[in-house]
Amino acid sequence: MTTALALQLTLAGLSVGSVYALVALAIVLPFKASGVLNFGQGEVVTLGAYVALVLTQSGLPYAAVILGVLGVGLLGGWAIEYFFIRPIIRAPEFTIVIATFAIGLLIKAAISLKFGDSPNSVDGPFGMEPLLLGPVRANPTSLWIIGCTAAVTLGIVAFFKWSRLGKAMRAVSIDAQAAQLMGIRSESVYRLAWMMSTAIGAMAGLLVAPLVGVNPELGGLILRGLLAAVLGGFTSVGGALLGGLCVGLVETFSGVWLGSTFKNLMPFVVLMVVLVFRPQGFFGVGEVKRV
Amino acid sequence: MSSSHKTILAVGFLVLMGAAAGLGSYPVYLMSLAMINVIAAVGLNMLTGNAGQISLCHSSFMAIGAYTSTLISAHWGLPFWVSIPMGTVLAGLAGGLLGAPATRLAGIYLALATLGFLQIVQITIEELSSITGGVRGLNVPKASIAGTELSDYPKFLIIGLSCAAVIWICSNLMKSRVGREFDAVRLSPHAAQAMGLSISRIKLSAFMLSAALAGLAGGLQALLVGFIDPVEFGVSASLRHITFIVVGGMGSMGGSVLGALVLSALPEFLRPVKEYSDLIYVAILLAFLIFLPRGLITLLTSLMNRVRGIGRAAGRT
Repeated sequence: MTTALALQLTLAGLSVGSVYALVALAIVLPFKASGVLNFGQGEVVTLGAYVALVLTQSGLPYAAVILGVLGVGLLGGWAIEYFFIRPIIRAPEFTIVIATFAIGLLIKAAISLKFGDSPNSVDGPFGMEPLLLGPVRANPTSLWIIGCTAAVTLGIVAFFKWSRLGKAMRAVSIDAQAAQLMGIRSESVYRLAWMMSTAIGAMAGLLVAPLVGVNPELGGLILRGLLAAVLGGFTSVGGALLGGLCVGLVETFSGVWLGSTFKNLMPFVVLMVVLVFRPQGFFGVGEVKRV
Repeated sequence: MSSSHKTILAVGFLVLMGAAAGLGSYPVYLMSLAMINVIAAVGLNMLTGNAGQISLCHSSFMAIGAYTSTLISAHWGLPFWVSIPMGTVLAGLAGGLLGAPATRLAGIYLALATLGFLQIVQITIEELSSITGGVRGLNVPKASIAGTELSDYPKFLIIGLSCAAVIWICSNLMKSRVGREFDAVRLSPHAAQAMGLSISRIKLSAFMLSAALAGLAGGLQALLVGFIDPVEFGVSASLRHITFIVVGGMGSMGGSVLGALVLSALPEFLRPVKEYSDLIYVAILLAFLIFLPRGLITLLTSLMNRVRGIGRAAGRT
């Protein structure tokens, strides 16, 4: 394998990995805030991709498309939290797991009812003409995805570190009761976490659309996002990012070296192994439970 | 349940089995399918409702049962009454294989592990196309007894008897020590452990039992439908089984039966609005989770208590 090819593959791996990282991030946020794992996050990605499709086809400039996707994401998160999650937040874990799954299927069923099952394609902001960086042919869409992911991650990290709201969210995730006694409304924090999560998920849909096309099955990439989140330990932003990039890179390179069967099977075997032997992931802290 | 209830149920079941002989082949086919769903729901409900373990890969165990029995009949020429039990056993063993590590996991981690297992089974079936037919699926060899090919009604009888046996065995099992152990693990694992119960052994047996029943349901489905493909056994099939037990009633034998029967009949009523059926199905699941998490069976029992109350009041006057 030449260096140029290796670099090209690395770039491709990092760009799909970025999408996985965003999905993982979107999974981690509400989980950290309220302990709810959104198994329907994949369909939020699909929703984002379809919003991007509709807005692009209506001829809006790309900046407006981005704003529209983020807006729908925020609104969707608010609606999911308000109508579905809040009524069952105290229910057993099974109920919440299945409910989030069902919300995803609801979105998917609605989308395939409206748009049909046939795949559509969306253009990225830069087209598909490869950039030549020396011997490396770089897909500008890949660079755009990596850049956007970096920006989103940095934004989130800064938000948690410096903003009042971010600090409030961290407080609630550490100890909801104590935070409430300090005057933080945990309900608002949960809602905000969901809105941020679905906005990031929708953004992932917008970004991945030019790479893989838009179809109702797009949400299947949640499995890679979940793997990334598990690798990252489920509770850290940096972990989700690193986890996503690892999954993207390993998937791309193993696809080249070991064929598609292995590429398809690998993430799930890794998932099982990690869950069994190191459920706290590689960047998380083990949960200490008092019996 | 009193013994008079049992007699009524048994007689009702026999009448139904006999009466079905007079029906056309489509209603008989639908009833067979519904009873296969009952078997799968009973199995899942013991694992999820009684033992409290989330499983998103129930359909994978069905797949293992279906593919095992089909491949055994196709390659070794064994009759269905050997191959389906073999599929059942293999699915149970696969349940043990997943259950052994999964007993260390709980909640969302278990959900994730079972989701991973589902994908592994699905991809394996798709990729081993030389054996399993891949995404194009596999024709199931025609089942026959003593040289005569089975038509829909004998298949219905076989499925009906299996279903009755499963309900009878499992409802007794759930009333026995095994059922109480399952409940203990769900309600308070710590207390159960303090009482000297081995949580991991109980979880493992719940997984194996539930997987074996799913395998039986899968084998019977292959027998009935005559064709299997991996799409049948995806995550949406698992969600369908979960919907059965949520709508019927978690942890209740009557709930499994009720949920599976009602929801198996539903597609027939939804035929005029076929394109909305996925949407309606999921909406029903969500509505039950939020508004009636204990299922239809609670409505039924409170209705029966009320009727009994009225009867008693009428008897007094």
